[in-house]
Amino acid sequence: MAAPMELRCWGGDWGLPSLHPESLTVMAYAKFSGAPLIVSAINNSWRAPKEEVPVLISEDTVISQPAKILNFLRKQKYNADYELSAKQGADTLAYIALLEEKLLPALLHTFWVEAENYCSVTKPWFASKAAFPLSLYLPGKKSREALNRILLTRGGPPHYSLTEVEAQIYREAKECLNLLSKRLGTSQFFFGNTPTTLDAFVFGFLAPIYKVCFPRVQLQEHLRQLPNLCRFCDDILTCYFRLTVSGHFPAGQDTADANLQKLTQLVNKESNLIEKMDDNLRKSPQHPPRKLTTLKLAAGGEGSSPLNRLSP
Amino acid sequence: AAAEPWPENAALYQQLKDEQILLSDNASSLAVQAFLQMCNLPIRVVCRANAEYMSPSGKVPFIHVGNQVVSELGPIVQFVKAKGHSLSDGLDEVQKAEMKAYMELVNNMLLTAELYLQWCDDVTVEEITHPRYGSPYPWPLNRILSYQKQWEVRRKMKAIGWAGKTLPQVLEDVDQCCQALSQRLGTQPYFFNKQPTELDALVFGHLFTILTTQLITDELSEKVKNYSNLTAFCRRIEQQYFEGHDKDSSATSAARSAKRSLLR
Repeated sequence: MAAPMELRCWGGDWGLPSLHPESLTVMAYAKFSGAPLIVSAINNSWRAPKEEVPVLISEDTVISQPAKILNFLRKQKYNADYELSAKQGADTLAYIALLEEKLLPALLHTFWVEAENYCSVTKPWFASKAAFPLSLYLPGKKSREALNRILLTRGGPPHYSLTEVEAQIYREAKECLNLLSKRLGTSQFFFGNTPTTLDAFVFGFLAPIYKVCFPRVQLQEHLRQLPNLCRFCDDILTCYFRLTVSGHFPAGQDTADANLQKLTQLVNKESNLIEKMDDNLRKSPQHPPRKLTTLKLAAGGEGSSPLNRLSP
Repeated sequence: AAAEPWPENAALYQQLKDEQILLSDNASSLAVQAFLQMCNLPIRVVCRANAEYMSPSGKVPFIHVGNQVVSELGPIVQFVKAKGHSLSDGLDEVQKAEMKAYMELVNNMLLTAELYLQWCDDVTVEEITHPRYGSPYPWPLNRILSYQKQWEVRRKMKAIGWAGKTLPQVLEDVDQCCQALSQRLGTQPYFFNKQPTELDALVFGHLFTILTTQLITDELSEKVKNYSNLTAFCRRIEQQYFEGHDKDSSATSAARSAKRSLLR
């Protein structure tokens, strides 16, 4: 067994282990392939912008991009694609390219460029994870990089204004989601019953759209209309991510829900107890005369003979 | 049902075949030509030095049909479909999703690798790209235009994270892409068995251009030649759709002239 490897990445919220699509992809792949990974979320650290997150640190090697990290894990014999045929491996590459070309621009836009989303959700969250004064600089830098990427890859003529580009990228993203939904169909994962690299990538891209609560949510609304994709995300979250007990990712709504559940159970127990006490009180021997009187009145002949026998 | 008939004088515009056009543009143009041949729609190829500027999206090739101008393979496929001709109607939903995914793979990996090789590899830039790109124009315009284009392409490469890649890494990516295409094609004649689709046209355009264009080294074409079913695929499409037609629009003559003129 190799020494445990450390993954430094952005932490999570809203029920997700991470908000960053690439970090999420690597985490999901590690879970699928059984790689022992210690996840350390970036929190109040100065190191955030210098490394290209997510970063895998294993003994002396430091590896940074998701594709390279997955290659490294495969070389360490943690391979989730073991049972795939050559054609399925080719399909994986093709679908990953589809995700990057069609879905990623809209994802970046929702997180970093859409003004309401950025100001009310993304910026405060990422700023809270970095130390002051890095927190003032980092979200702005990422936002500018995202806008740059969108404009350079999608923003040429005939789209001359940002609104036209936005309309185009959301249209393409919705089409991409439809294609993924058709490809997934009714099966549990993309290639049968075991999750593979493609499932990790799709999960990494879809889960942030699905779970994070934004004010402007057109992509999320579209995703919710595709129930098999929602079920896919939920399945992976429940099967592969809720089982960690050591708290590798910051508590989100999960513990709040758990506490609420415990409280409800406690209240239920209490009320059951109170009902039982009530019953006991009613059945207790404080009211025997009433009962005997009723017996006498109800069944006069039968009740009286034992009483007659008892009385001397 | 077909809407309006396809006019006789439909034209496809690209840059000058012998002196100006670059690897990536030639690939895109050939893909569109192959697609139209597969749909049996006649088109003549017109070479103009300022084709890039005439195009509505700034990219070549573009077609001029009737009074409409459409550029790039994606919109052209949709335009042709609106006219009632389509190659992918026989595919079911899952196959259509696969086709779109593979087309994105080619765009994402092959096209980007071609652009990288042309504009970010210093040797190729100095010896092939700069001389060719501005060749129809007088000095200093030719140098200004090609430096401007180089700056644009390098910015885009930086934004998508390819600027940090080295040439061996890019060639490795090309190899991975070709391996995926080869595995998907297998022993079938076309990607979706019996009938060619726009995916076949796109793959043909890129692979044929890579195989027949002479660059500084043969590393790029060697990567494709490693996969024999891909080279057989290209030869098959060339023979079926390009030989025996007009020399003007045939890929073979374009390839021959490309071979001669790209020898530097």
